[in-house]
Amino acid sequence: MRWYIPYGNPTYFLWLGLALIPLMIGLLYGHRFRGYQTLISLLFLVLTFGGPNWKTGISLIGYLIYQVLLVAAYSHYRQPKGSANRGWVFVLAVILAIVPLVIVKITPAVEGGRQSIIGFLGISYITFKVVQTIMETRDGMIKTFHPVLFGQFLLFFPTISSGPIDRYRRFLADYQKVPEQAAYLDMVQKGVRYIFQGFVYKFILAYFFGSILMPQIEMQAILAHGLSWSIVGYMYVYSMDLFFDFAGYSLFAVGISYLMGIKTPMNFNQPFKSKNIKDFWNRWHMTLSFWFRDYIFMRLVFFCMKHKIFKSRTTTANVCYVINMLIMGFWHGETWFYITYGLYHGFAMVINDAWLRFKKKHQAVIPHNKLTEALAIFITFNVVCFSFLIFSGFLNTLFFAPKPF
Amino acid sequence: MIKKRLFQIFGPIFAAALLMLVVFLSPLWARFNDVSSEVQNNAASSLSPLVLKGGLVKRVAMDDHYVGFFGSSEWSRFDPFHPSVLAAKYHRSYRPFLLGARGSQSLTHFFVMQSVNAQLKNRKAVFFISPQWFTPKGEDPNAFSFYYSPLQTTTWIESETGTKMDRYAAYRLLQMPSGSSDKVIAAALARIAAGLQPTAFQRAYVGFRHRILTNEDQIYARFRIPSTNAAKIRREARQLPRRYQYDNLNRLAGKIGQQQTTSNSFGINNQFWNKRLKKHVARLGNFQQGQSYLKSPEYGDFELVLNQFARDHTKVLFIIPPVNQKWQRYTGLSARMLRQFDQKIQYQLRSQGFNHIDDLSQDGGIPYFMSDTIHPGWRGWLKMDRAIKPFLTKSVKKPHYHIDQRFYAREWDNEQLFNDDDGYYSR
Repeated sequence: MRWYIPYGNPTYFLWLGLALIPLMIGLLYGHRFRGYQTLISLLFLVLTFGGPNWKTGISLIGYLIYQVLLVAAYSHYRQPKGSANRGWVFVLAVILAIVPLVIVKITPAVEGGRQSIIGFLGISYITFKVVQTIMETRDGMIKTFHPVLFGQFLLFFPTISSGPIDRYRRFLADYQKVPEQAAYLDMVQKGVRYIFQGFVYKFILAYFFGSILMPQIEMQAILAHGLSWSIVGYMYVYSMDLFFDFAGYSLFAVGISYLMGIKTPMNFNQPFKSKNIKDFWNRWHMTLSFWFRDYIFMRLVFFCMKHKIFKSRTTTANVCYVINMLIMGFWHGETWFYITYGLYHGFAMVINDAWLRFKKKHQAVIPHNKLTEALAIFITFNVVCFSFLIFSGFLNTLFFAPKPF
Repeated sequence: MIKKRLFQIFGPIFAAALLMLVVFLSPLWARFNDVSSEVQNNAASSLSPLVLKGGLVKRVAMDDHYVGFFGSSEWSRFDPFHPSVLAAKYHRSYRPFLLGARGSQSLTHFFVMQSVNAQLKNRKAVFFISPQWFTPKGEDPNAFSFYYSPLQTTTWIESETGTKMDRYAAYRLLQMPSGSSDKVIAAALARIAAGLQPTAFQRAYVGFRHRILTNEDQIYARFRIPSTNAAKIRREARQLPRRYQYDNLNRLAGKIGQQQTTSNSFGINNQFWNKRLKKHVARLGNFQQGQSYLKSPEYGDFELVLNQFARDHTKVLFIIPPVNQKWQRYTGLSARMLRQFDQKIQYQLRSQGFNHIDDLSQDGGIPYFMSDTIHPGWRGWLKMDRAIKPFLTKSVKKPHYHIDQRFYAREWDNEQLFNDDDGYYSR
């Protein structure tokens, strides 16, 4: 028996392909073999969370039971007609939902890098799904709760380790129906294309940047002792590796979902073509960024406006940008570089908005043409790459970590 | 309609898979043998694990005028007197092909030899024996994995005939995680170790893997060979005088050595001292007390190497280096144990007919002989050249080896019966 990181090597894809064939034939002829789908989902979860990783498997099961009970309890409180809708119950539910994730994130920071025993691969992404479900239940958008369907949604194996983060109602609609034959064939075609694009991204380009270029340039930067051009080189190489690795992974997850007749949302849309930071966050790790937009930023803005905390709308938006991105920074991990990365993007958003307002006011004098667009892309690209340099933690290794010799 | 669409979607995937099989199973690649002399030159000093693990580049170079220099981390200590620099500067008829880097020991070299057996037949080689290999645990499995080459393994399995050597190699390989990295090959190894032939299926599988791995080597081996060490050799050579005159060179070696060891009293080069030792030196006093190189599975692994050399009738010059004497005393490494090691390894060599031995083990106190704690430098390299140059440029008598399987036994691994006065012992 072998154990696999999802999409880690060719054999994983071989098993995946074989396992999907019966399901795909069913979908092609108008049936979704739900029992079979559950069976192979469990099989692939065991491949990831079994064997040497069995402890994380136990954590996953415990976590799942906890979250299903929590959402069931909140749904029971909130869903009946004319039910109460107290703020503190909702806040309590959200806090309880994120407590495991908070423990997992804080443990390494206070325990000298040791991982929490309740952690497992993909805990953040499942937590996002849970919180989203609780919020939409409060809003009255989710009207029924079905523990098995909810479990299927949380454990949907193609996306379990790193997203994309789907939404409950969208997932359920796909899961409960079978696409028309022609539509399904279109999905299969797209899915296959995504998977092969993922191969190019992850196994060729990310390998080139991450495994060939990066070690060399890392060594040069370390040997240079202090500031050097190699750090700039590292910045670009790391950014490319980060993108192709993660986008490649996301393409696999989306591609496999499509083969299963589920339209998991896309995660990346040519992010390096962005003309400004806002544009960037609409193209980079989209399901995460939209999740933060919908469930943190928007809620914060509404909260501030309702309670009239700030006079001007601009101030409200600015404060919320920074808080939003700061929380994203904390979510990445409790280190100075993740938190700085969050703050950096928060302030980048603020500056970006200020510039756009200024530009709108002075439309007559500020030129807008192909050249300025190219300049905008160039600046945005470099601002983003610099943020990834912070994010990479390499500056930490370079300047603050103890030297091996 | 469905069929057509499915064919449009999946046809290209099957075509690609088919094309890949055709490309990687094609026998035509065997003819794709050209390796430019520049690539050979770069590869010979690259010390790259890719070169060590491959086959083609080594074969082509050693069919040319390169001679295999087997060893480990010492090869990376380039200075003007390094064997590669001397051979290039003085236009010798041979050029060293440096094989091995930090962590490559006898077992790795046994498999490296499988990739160049034809090039070792009746030819010459140099083998640098590090006493530090012969620790109680022997080869480090992680280091072995780093240099592990499935290609060399399949090459060996295809030619194995169930001799004691083959059985021992299989047994040792199975003790390393690399040996079980492929389930079918691991099963074949278990059969070989037990004295059985691999099954027909295992043979077919090994043949199939071998074909693909060989082709990969034929296609990719030439690329991505670093040239930094080749450039370093050219730079170092500039410090040497035009004519080779031993006494002159020895003086120069002393001078350069002196200039580069100003930071400490151990005669260790400044760079190594400042980067690796300075901070830790206080803690290292007597840290090697009790260390022994006398009991080690490495002796059996080393026998594999000797056995393979004997089969190939290779004429081999073995080099036994010293330890930096000042460092040895400071760290409490037993001089008596080192002498016993020397006797034990010499016994293993000479009793089987390996008589070309350059024993430098007593030279660790000569100033500027060692570049750091255990690696030769300036004068050490130069003294070695006194043995290497005649061995490789003059004709050497056909060797008569007689392999004694006793050296594979655990009793030999653990044998400690050597004492200072008797010289070689015999049973």
